[in-house]
Amino acid sequence: MTSNNAKRTRVAWVLLTPFLALFVVFMVYPLVQSAFLAANQTFGPGTRTFVGERNFALLIEDPLFWKSIRNTIVYALGSLLIQLPMAFGLALALNSRHLRGRALYRLLFFSPQLMGLVFVSILGALAFEKRAGLINQALHWASSYSLLSWTTPSGGWLEYAWLQEHVMATLILISLWLYVGFNMIYFLAALQNVDQSLIEAAEIDGANARAKLFHVVLPSIRPVATFVVLLSMIGSLQLFELPYVLLDGNGGPNNQGLTIVMYLYQSGFELGDLGYASAIGWALAIMLIGLAFIQIRMMRREEASS
Amino acid sequence: MHMLSTALLALRSLSAGIWVIVALVVVSFVALSFSSRERTASLEMWMFSPEHLAMYDPVLEDREAADELDLHVSLMSIAALKSRMMSGFFGGLDTADLIEVERATVGQAFMGPVDAIGFRDLTSRLRDEGLLDTFNPPSLSPWSVDGRVFGLPHDVHPVMLAYRADLVEAAGIDLQQATTWQEFFALLQPVMTDADGDGKPDRYALSMWVTQQDNIELLLMQGGGALFAADGSPTVDSARNAALLAEIVSWCAGPNRVVTDVDEFSAAGHQDRINGVAIAYLCPDWMCSVWRMHVPQIGGKMKLMPLPAFEPGGRRTSVRGGTMLGFPRTSKNFDRAWEIAMLLYNSPEIARTLYKEVDIITPVQSLWSDPVYDEPDPFFMGQAKGRMFIELAPDVPVRTSSPYNQNAVLEFRDAAVNLLNWANTNGVDEPDALREQAQQLLHIAQKNVARQMARNVFTGVE
Amino acid sequence: MSQPRFRIRILALHAFLLGLALLVLVPFTWMFIASLKSQEDFFSGMFFPPGDGAFGIAWDKLTWGNYKELFNLGFERAFLNSVFYSSTSAVFATLFAAATGYVLAKIDFRGRKFLTVLVLSALVIPPTLLIAPSYELLYRLGMLDTAWGLLLPTLSPTFGAFLFRQAVKQSVPDELLEAARIDGCSELSIFFVVVLPLVRPMIGAFMLITFLGMWNNFISPQIVLQSEAKQPLSVAIAQLRGVYRTDYGLLMAATVVSVAPVALLFLMLQKQFISGLTSGAVKG
Repeated sequence: MTSNNAKRTRVAWVLLTPFLALFVVFMVYPLVQSAFLAANQTFGPGTRTFVGERNFALLIEDPLFWKSIRNTIVYALGSLLIQLPMAFGLALALNSRHLRGRALYRLLFFSPQLMGLVFVSILGALAFEKRAGLINQALHWASSYSLLSWTTPSGGWLEYAWLQEHVMATLILISLWLYVGFNMIYFLAALQNVDQSLIEAAEIDGANARAKLFHVVLPSIRPVATFVVLLSMIGSLQLFELPYVLLDGNGGPNNQGLTIVMYLYQSGFELGDLGYASAIGWALAIMLIGLAFIQIRMMRREEASS
Repeated sequence: MHMLSTALLALRSLSAGIWVIVALVVVSFVALSFSSRERTASLEMWMFSPEHLAMYDPVLEDREAADELDLHVSLMSIAALKSRMMSGFFGGLDTADLIEVERATVGQAFMGPVDAIGFRDLTSRLRDEGLLDTFNPPSLSPWSVDGRVFGLPHDVHPVMLAYRADLVEAAGIDLQQATTWQEFFALLQPVMTDADGDGKPDRYALSMWVTQQDNIELLLMQGGGALFAADGSPTVDSARNAALLAEIVSWCAGPNRVVTDVDEFSAAGHQDRINGVAIAYLCPDWMCSVWRMHVPQIGGKMKLMPLPAFEPGGRRTSVRGGTMLGFPRTSKNFDRAWEIAMLLYNSPEIARTLYKEVDIITPVQSLWSDPVYDEPDPFFMGQAKGRMFIELAPDVPVRTSSPYNQNAVLEFRDAAVNLLNWANTNGVDEPDALREQAQQLLHIAQKNVARQMARNVFTGVE
Repeated sequence: MSQPRFRIRILALHAFLLGLALLVLVPFTWMFIASLKSQEDFFSGMFFPPGDGAFGIAWDKLTWGNYKELFNLGFERAFLNSVFYSSTSAVFATLFAAATGYVLAKIDFRGRKFLTVLVLSALVIPPTLLIAPSYELLYRLGMLDTAWGLLLPTLSPTFGAFLFRQAVKQSVPDELLEAARIDGCSELSIFFVVVLPLVRPMIGAFMLITFLGMWNNFISPQIVLQSEAKQPLSVAIAQLRGVYRTDYGLLMAATVVSVAPVALLFLMLQKQFISGLTSGAVKG
């Protein structure tokens, strides 16, 4: 038996080796290194000077950094608060047992997700163009009907400068198109897992649709909902490609579109200061880990109470 | 053997999608290894301008046919060139033997310690060959750090005012009389009517907007403003800058604004140009070729004139953009690369082509006597455009090579955007009323630039 | 609920969903039609250029020219690169993650607990934290501007190890492993012959997720790869926009070429893909 065990252990290590080797080299080492880097100023990876905690001191006083945090949070909250209710609503609609063609709808709503962010950005850059872009043309056309004319902004829809003056709105709109269907998938999966007997029990008790939603459905999909919220937050806080490509590599006027990761990219790979970039990376990591922590605690409390 | 077949049998149960992806690995690997390797030319050149390439092509082809010049040119976007160049410099990777770099991009290469600049210092070579004094003096300034020259100037890029003469003359206006911006806007007032009755003028006097940092910087330099002092320290919040900012923003502010933003390079903007959304444009020499390529419809309808000045007797030109030819230090073929540089940057033939093909004035002063510059240009209703630009060339403002210039320009632009918002919220559109707020916004900009600079421990600038 | 009222409600729901689906599809349609328009016709008509043909559309003005032009620009190289990077990354990352998941779930040995905690705790590390130090590491290893530098860091996905550990726990019974051992199956072949087929839904799903992730990855190739011949579509298209920003038709054709093939592949395999996406969140 011992020889069997030894053999098993040996095979275990054989199976683990490729993963572990790469894990140590490309995950653990850079993680440790990022702490050291954050205490240096570099000019590319080849030139560096030790600066101690200076990077963090500068970071705290850096208005651009705070601006990037503010922008990122506005985007995250903005897209979250609009996206998730819409996604949930859609999931509820699609969950109706009597609806035909559910699979097709699901697929259609999900489809934008198959398009990578860079490619969406290229499309968005043209669609949100002033005067000639699809969005403004369509809005202009729609608002020419008197029923909708009140929606027209003062300069007319054609002149509406999405990419110059309303960067956040543009980003949030694009994210709606991209992610509502994606989040809907999670809600739908959760709704289909809701214990039917609970619903039936509620129906026997004479609960109406609203009561069923609030007292049966919502509580039972809460774990998934928290997961989706966390996933969206983590994704949103690391937003990069969309504003980077839409705004030609800078933050746009007044850095309205500067996100944390974009600032990290600019600092590390345009100005060559990998140290400052690492410091920004740590700030972001702390935010994200904090979020994950809150979520875990919420889940724990739920488990304890249920 | 038995084991193997069992394993294969077991793996067959995996779905088709998985095997499609496995097959893709093999197919793409084979295809990539067999696909024609990149032609390994002995010299590599990177450039961002399709216009420049179109111009060099015939010359280079002649040479290649004649004496086996083996040069491969890669054309890429400015952003791509920037990221590939800098990642090459940072990573110590081979980049190219020659790189044409645009001014807004080059600053990053000058950001570290002077010794770590990725380009070769050309000062002594230029002095030895007696070339240092041949260039239009202001045109070397953006490429020099601490008096050392890191690139050959490609151009002067003086700026004139281009306007839709067809529209202006139909209204019976002689715009050439305008010597100041004030006179210019006053003269064009009659054209800014609202024929279709949608509450805003059908045409605006000038295409310029606070979000267009290049045009903002251009106007700032024309008016004698400066973002950096000669020693490299930032002067973003000087009184002169504030006065100019207030004036420029006043053009954009209020219900009676006289300027609009026609996008400069997009197809949408070109469509606006054809429609005459703006009457006049700030036109550096290179812009002429952009228009000829992309908006031939306005050919024969445009005319040029020196920029109206900010004050009577003020400077009638400015400068926008600019390219240098740099030699990365990793290049092992400096001498061969230099030969090509001399061919492309210092020969009368190329200077002539440079003008004929892409309308650019050479910075080599001795070549300015070429009669090609006196030829009438039908695009501009027969004006001798080249001579007009050359007459302005010595007046072009001297520029800084500070690596923080782009930074400061963006800060200045943001101040302009914010001042415009402030002006519109408070219903103010007179320069004098904007002055104080302009000054305050520039204080903030100055602080931001200074903070950025202080972060850098490699360049000892305060 | 009375029958007609119910009918009406379902119809209304359909109308609503159809409208929404249309809204979702419009950008795709616009993109595709735009890719067929030449530069001169781009501004005639929001979608199709108007003309005398059927439905008042100038069909003869639509052209495949933009796609040909892409080929002239050497865009197929970027396409091939994308296929290679994505498929290689998908296959090996899945294999390594599955092996790790299996070992951590089923084989008892000293240090397993420690390794499990180590790998799982790495789940909380945001990838963006590693961007700068990884670049520095690749510089030291001399792997900048190589396919290795792009691929190797993607081959030890902690999320994958986590998913496979779950999948193995759920769908590989211990008795089956014991039976295989008694039959004389070697430990290594147990993994390939018994375990892998049992977790094949997860294999499909994770491969697809990795494939798509690599295909759409922009920041890594942008940082790691420098020479043009090695760039994938994501970087190539962003650079195309830089040079040909006035040529909308060309840009849209490039987007179609970059998106359509993978989108089709994934539409075919969407069931697995979606089940893989949700398996981390929804138990059961």
